[in-house]
Amino acid sequence: MNDDEVRGRIYDVTMRSGRPPLVAELGGPEVVESLQRLAAGRVIVMRDEIVMVAPFSAVVTPFLVESAGVSYFANCIWDALGIPAMLHRDAEIHTSCGDCGTAMNVRVENDAAHGDGLLHFAVPAREWWNDIVFT
Amino acid sequence: MLYFRSEEHIDRWCSAWKMDRGAVLTLDQGWRLAAAWFTEDRRAPEWRRRTVDEVEQVFGELGLSSPFWSLR
Repeated sequence: MNDDEVRGRIYDVTMRSGRPPLVAELGGPEVVESLQRLAAGRVIVMRDEIVMVAPFSAVVTPFLVESAGVSYFANCIWDALGIPAMLHRDAEIHTSCGDCGTAMNVRVENDAAHGDGLLHFAVPAREWWNDIVFT
Repeated sequence: MLYFRSEEHIDRWCSAWKMDRGAVLTLDQGWRLAAAWFTEDRRAPEWRRRTVDEVEQVFGELGLSSPFWSLR
């Protein structure tokens, strides 16, 4: 597989199952090199495994997205909204206030989002990739 | 990027984290940004990350043109 095919496989698995694939599920050493290039190109975030492939998170986060019977974790509220946008499906987002922890839900339905909260972007755009996990 | 109940909760979070207040979007603005950003099929072989010019065009079309949104 070339890098584009590896990226396509990662997104295909994640969009269908809700979780990014493990490295071992993707293939052998040549895939590891592709993953390193995709990470260098800011398409994915790697530790030993894929941890982020925007808008999806491989680890549990406070942004749970449910759509068509599949559960996904998003990296942030922007990504949580990005999951139904990418899937082109309605979704329910279960999250909480970043300050007080009160549970909050957002319903994405018919190309509109319904809820009572506000999004806060703490880091200026040019600095997002300085520490993408914090961002 | 976090989600908050109100402006007051955003200010409390910024104070607790000793951070300046960033950019605040309504849920509708956030949805339109997410819809514009993530609408492309990233499974497609021809997909590429946006250039700086393309990113700023997406932001600009949504009215996000303050220095906070600049990539330069």
